[in-house]
Amino acid sequence: MRKALIVDDAKVVRVSLSRIMKQLGFETLEAADGQQAIDQIAAHPDTCLIMLDWNMPVMNGYDFLLHLRSIPEHVTQPKVVMVTTETGMNSMLKALAAGADEYIMKPFDKDMIAGKLDILGIDYD
Amino acid sequence: MRSTEFNWFRTFLEQQSGIIISEDKLYLVQSRLKPLLRQHQISDLNQLAKHIKYHASSDISQQAIDAMTTNETLFFRDQYPYDALETLVFPELSHAKGISSPIHIWSAAASRGQEAYSIAIAANESIAQAQKRVRILGTDLSPTAIAYAKAAIYSQMEVQRGMPVTRLVRFFSQQGTHWHVAKDIKNMVQFETANLTEDKLVSQVRRFGPFDVVFLRNVLIYFSAEERKKVIDRIARSMRKGGYLITGATETPEGLNSKWEAVLFKGKRLWKLQ
Ligand SMILES: C[S@@+](CC[C@H](N)C(=O)[O-])C[C@H]1O[C@@H](n2cnc3c(N)ncnc32)[C@H](O)[C@@H]1O
Ligand SMILES: [Mg+2]
Repeated sequence: MRKALIVDDAKVVRVSLSRIMKQLGFETLEAADGQQAIDQIAAHPDTCLIMLDWNMPVMNGYDFLLHLRSIPEHVTQPKVVMVTTETGMNSMLKALAAGADEYIMKPFDKDMIAGKLDILGIDYD
Repeated sequence: MRSTEFNWFRTFLEQQSGIIISEDKLYLVQSRLKPLLRQHQISDLNQLAKHIKYHASSDISQQAIDAMTTNETLFFRDQYPYDALETLVFPELSHAKGISSPIHIWSAAASRGQEAYSIAIAANESIAQAQKRVRILGTDLSPTAIAYAKAAIYSQMEVQRGMPVTRLVRFFSQQGTHWHVAKDIKNMVQFETANLTEDKLVSQVRRFGPFDVVFLRNVLIYFSAEERKKVIDRIARSMRKGGYLITGATETPEGLNSKWEAVLFKGKRLWKLQ
């Protein structure tokens, strides 16, 4: 089953995103900050999709993204969808430049996420 | 709402808009019309029906019809129509018509404008000088939907449904939680109210055509089989021969006087006017 990693410091967000991603047919992993996300990716290099919050303690989503995109041995890079309360155009441009593939301004719902997966050409149930 | 008034309203709605409401949809009519009661200080839905009956062309009647339209839509709905424009339709048109002649496109059930602006964006991405060459008309029965489309301002929710973020940052500007369609894109599109089920439709849109491409998506489903045929023929009369009709993914154009050839694109059918 395809793995999606959900990274957000708010448990409620992780729970609701996990539920949606499971409904869409993904196996879900979770991380509460960028450092935990690095560990999860190392343990699960076959992760194909990351739903990534921006503002988190320890390591934020933006720094994690820069780190992820610089790992050379990560030959098949996962797609990254930012899921954040950062709603400025500048934040979007910054995330895209850092290697984000899509961007969701909270709040989200299942249709919106499915639509973004369509855009990315990622299959779901 | 009593069944007499309900049935009268169903007939009225079909005559005015082509929209068919089945007998088991009383709840739908009630929930859509209720907001009008307060606004016009009418005591109940039976009174409202009476008012409409005796003032058929009043604002309230128009608002009642408007309230019964389903305006749900999104940017780049279903994706394939826009892929088809970019990889099949636009190249073919440029080849057939020459690089510099204008291209006329009609979004014939435009709702709040997302479809027309998506077409404009797709044209911009794949046609040289699109802002000069491509003219897009958006029409809809609903005056509120058309007013919204003309304003070209969308909520955070709306711009995230179906639209890639790369297009959002490129073709919109942000004001707080609202997103304005860029001027260059906005200028390619014009909106008007128009009723697909009226014969005068053809003359009403004539000065914007003849159309090379028509989007008629997710609206035929509301009409009777008979009405659909008439609508399809009106669309055909507004188009150039060889032009493309793009319907909803499961919709098929059947006219009395028009013939359409199915053209497969990524497993989906587009329709070429014969
Ligand atoms: C579900 S929306 C479809 C919008 C868009 N074409 C899409 O596919 O996303 C249907 C639209 O058809 C319009 N409509 C219904 N009856 C109509 C009529 N008789 N003439 C013109 N438009 C009509 C409604 O107002 C509504 O905006
Ligand atoms: Mg956070």
